[in-house]
Amino acid sequence: MTRLLRPTALLNLALLLAIPATVGAQTAPARGGTLVVAISADPGHLNPAITTSGATHAAAELLYNGLLGRDERGDPTPELAESWTIEQNGALYRFRLRPDVRWHDGTPFTSSDVKFTFEDVLLKLHARTRASMSGALAGIDTPDDRTVVFRFKQPYAPLLLQLDATEAPIIPRHVYQGSDPQTNPANLQPVGTGPFRFAAYRKGAEIRLARNPTYFKPGLPHLDAIVMRVIPAAGTQVLALENGEVDFLWAVPGPDQSRLRTDARFRLAQTSYHPGGSNCIMTVGFNLQRPLLKDVRVRRAIAHALDREAFLRQVLFGEGRVAAAPISSELAWAHAAGLAMPAFDRAEAERLLDAAGWKKEGEATRVARGVAGVADGTRLAIDFLHFPAFSKYGELMRQHLGAVGIDVTPRPLEPAVFAPTVFKDRNFDTNVISYCNGPDPEIGVRRMYHSSQIGPAPFTNAAAYRHDRVDALFDEAGRTVARDRRSALYRQIQEIVVQDLPYFWLVETPTTRAWAARCGGFRPWTGLFAEAASCKP
Amino acid sequence: MSPRYLLRRLAHVVPAVAGILVVAFVVIQAAPGDPVLALAGQHGDAAYHAFIRQKFGLDRPVFEQLFVYAGNVIRGDLGHSWVHGRPVASLVAERLPATLLLMTSALVLSSLAGVLLGVAAARRADRPTDLGVRLAALLGYATPSFWLAQLAALTLALGTGLFPVQGISDARGAWTGWRHALDVLHHLALPALVLAANELALTARLVRAGVVDALGAEYIRTARAKGLPERAVVRHALRNALLPVVTVIGGRVGMLFTGAVLVETVFAWPGLGQLLLSSVQTRDTPVLLGLFLLVSGAVVVTNLLTDMAYAWLDPRIRYE
Amino acid sequence: MSEVLRTPAGLAGAALTVALGLLAALAPVLAPADPFASVGAPLTPPSRSHALGTDDLGRDVYSGILHGTRTSLVVALGVVAIAATLGVFVGAVAGFRGGSVDEVLMRGTEAVQIMPRFFLAVIVVALFGPGLDRVVLVLGFTTWPAIARVVRAETLSLARREFVDAAHALGATTGRVVVRHVLPNALPTALVVISLNAASVILLEAGLGFIGLGDPRAMSLGYLASNAQRFLRVAWWMAVFPGAAIALAVLALNLLGDALGDLANPRRPSRGRPA
Repeated sequence: MTRLLRPTALLNLALLLAIPATVGAQTAPARGGTLVVAISADPGHLNPAITTSGATHAAAELLYNGLLGRDERGDPTPELAESWTIEQNGALYRFRLRPDVRWHDGTPFTSSDVKFTFEDVLLKLHARTRASMSGALAGIDTPDDRTVVFRFKQPYAPLLLQLDATEAPIIPRHVYQGSDPQTNPANLQPVGTGPFRFAAYRKGAEIRLARNPTYFKPGLPHLDAIVMRVIPAAGTQVLALENGEVDFLWAVPGPDQSRLRTDARFRLAQTSYHPGGSNCIMTVGFNLQRPLLKDVRVRRAIAHALDREAFLRQVLFGEGRVAAAPISSELAWAHAAGLAMPAFDRAEAERLLDAAGWKKEGEATRVARGVAGVADGTRLAIDFLHFPAFSKYGELMRQHLGAVGIDVTPRPLEPAVFAPTVFKDRNFDTNVISYCNGPDPEIGVRRMYHSSQIGPAPFTNAAAYRHDRVDALFDEAGRTVARDRRSALYRQIQEIVVQDLPYFWLVETPTTRAWAARCGGFRPWTGLFAEAASCKP
Repeated sequence: MSPRYLLRRLAHVVPAVAGILVVAFVVIQAAPGDPVLALAGQHGDAAYHAFIRQKFGLDRPVFEQLFVYAGNVIRGDLGHSWVHGRPVASLVAERLPATLLLMTSALVLSSLAGVLLGVAAARRADRPTDLGVRLAALLGYATPSFWLAQLAALTLALGTGLFPVQGISDARGAWTGWRHALDVLHHLALPALVLAANELALTARLVRAGVVDALGAEYIRTARAKGLPERAVVRHALRNALLPVVTVIGGRVGMLFTGAVLVETVFAWPGLGQLLLSSVQTRDTPVLLGLFLLVSGAVVVTNLLTDMAYAWLDPRIRYE
Repeated sequence: MSEVLRTPAGLAGAALTVALGLLAALAPVLAPADPFASVGAPLTPPSRSHALGTDDLGRDVYSGILHGTRTSLVVALGVVAIAATLGVFVGAVAGFRGGSVDEVLMRGTEAVQIMPRFFLAVIVVALFGPGLDRVVLVLGFTTWPAIARVVRAETLSLARREFVDAAHALGATTGRVVVRHVLPNALPTALVVISLNAASVILLEAGLGFIGLGDPRAMSLGYLASNAQRFLRVAWWMAVFPGAAIALAVLALNLLGDALGDLANPRRPSRGRPA
């Protein structure tokens, strides 16, 4: 008996017991290999803290970490911070950082890096962080190398969901301090803490990353190298995947999905996360200052006239969902189910337009007869501004609304021109914008409805919607940490805006990732998607 | 070739370059909105706009602005990309080699093929071979280059598995020396073929016309009468036919740049095409202008060189 | 002109051009459906109800091509009209005035001829916004040099100044001389240039559409071809037919131009000559 209990014997026994667990089960992930990822644009630089550009984040997030990570459900997980506490009802957050993290150049990571990144970079240059946090934050303290404290003027609910590598990647203080973060040469030779290190950046062609052997998560990463290939044409990306030149696509175009799904060589996964912005809804915005659209009956008629299933089928090829509420269903706790969203009902649309004074008089387009603020005989003609990439939406708007007597003129505008035309000049009747809700409604939803967000800054309150109760509800929801209480507040907001219809929410737009079946372990719901990935040779 | 001819020829370059600069400048000025925005972009802040205003002298009278702009360009300062935050010249310099590689290969391929086809067509003028060759060459030209590129990618690359679909090199291999050169050639094959097919019609037509011309000339008839073998006759004719081909290379450069840009987009070739595409999407005007100036400049230089080569090749020609 | 029709190439070119022109002109009548309207299930292959299939929005591809050809040909015509007007004016003035006026105009012509039309069109559309009218203007204002050269050459070959003086003495204005004598002689060579340029305009417009600078409100062949890119693997008909239409139009114009060019060449060997 004693012999059995000797250390080596115990060890042997343990091994004997362990073997059946591995045989027949998944073998350990293959080590090594190069993963080739297709990206759609050359990012220009590799610093994700100074921009919200999808191209930079897609290419560079694997070089960095945030204080927290995200799991499949979108909940926060430890990353650079190993634990945290919420104090003062959410006005103070205390993070305890991991002790064993080093930058790629060997320098130890400390709390001063976090303080620097937020104060000198994120709060000035990262659009979402700046918009949501800068007003609410009182200060960041670093009592010691391993502790960071965020102090807010009032309880601040969304913090934990905006600390991942997409919303708040941490960059090294010892590299960036004293320089202009936008022109620092480290943007082209980045130093981070992430699972992969920078190896090479061939402009316009590719970005090469190499495994970080001193990554703080044990056993990770598995891959030796990642190559991000710049392939702008979506069709060529698919061809490259099918030809074996590329292993991972960020987005599979709609028409190719069914073919790839049935091809055993590939795996597909749908997700609403995107490094440029998550949980996005294609939203039609009404310029509430235009006389033609002031009457809510007209807006409701427009909503009833749109067959959103057709949009889903013809524009998205079935990939996505009709938006059932103003807040994305991906934010399940905030998404209000069972709302009275206007359903596709042409008869109702016609009835509403008639009631609002827009009569059909033999012509294709209705004319005003007794509409407040509109001269009699004015045609119901509106324009519809959109990015050129969304021209299909314009086409369908024209068709659907034309069927009930509304003349729609789609106006495609390149992003650089679209933003000032809509937000500065307010020169539009309707538009369509992909509003990304982000990880928390405070980050991506508030800006659409809060009256303080009416202004020239792009992608804010395009409708110029003003409702005191909604403002108050948003303010309270931003101050409340308890999720169920927030849920109730957001529900009230959604009920009001569905009645007022400053916008009409068309479809939610997830994307489908695809990868070669010989690779696996991807986490498509985060920017560090290949942290635990491996490829069989 | 007299020095006076050379000087005269160089003098021709000046108005051409001036004209190009003026057109580019006029376009910026005529565009709706503030030219500062066109040059600086929407994203810059007031300080950057002031910097651009000062750099381009945008608050000074128009003629002064033109001189400032021209001066900048001649010194190689093509402006600053506000998207990339770097000088346009350096952005272009990074991507130019790949495009030049593609264009030169296509130029060589299409010239060779054009000459061969042109000769074959001329020797059997007006017969089925002639028509067949001309039709095939024309079809190559008439089909939009991006369409041809996609077709090639679909059939010759994906279909046969013999060629890669994208890039200038294999992403997984990190080769050097000979193996790298072979890898690049492997990736170069399809894009260059497509570009050449698109372009050879012009050369073939010129060679055919030139050879047909020459074959009807007096001295050829004399040579034939003297009993010279047909092959030698054709070679004589060809020598004359090649002269127009040389002069036309300048115009072909412009066409090749355009074709290269479109083909590069399909094959993800890391050259100027991708830069053009992304600059179009972001309305990065300084880059677009820089590309326009670059291509114009390339055509001017090529014209100059080919004119001199032409004069050197054919001593009968003198532009007095 | 009738000689052109005797060569097989000329005949084919002329026939094709005329056919395309007719199709284009009659497009609104011939097209079975409004090219912008959804008339069928999306992405259906060619069938009896839709001869060339439907696109991703359920629009009839055949109707789209008819209207697209019409748009592309209208663009080409617009460009040629502007180019011809400018070219005739500049060429005639340069040829008649001679001297320094000629020098200056010729330098200007060279400068414009050198400019890469595609890149200039890209800049203009990027700055001024998409629209076929802009494309027509830009291309028109950069295509005239070739025509100007032809007209100038013809004007110069009217070397006999006495002829012009005599015409003047008889009361004819310079303009009249140009119209009555210069243009008819310049026409054959000019037609070559015109047809070749019209063809390249169609290709340029398609290229602009490909990189996203096309006019989405106009159903042009370039728009159809670029829209079809994403569907190459699932709906080949969306790409093949517009591409073929472009190729046919360009081919027709080129064949015609080639045949005309051959005619203008005096040293062409006659038929039946031993090889």
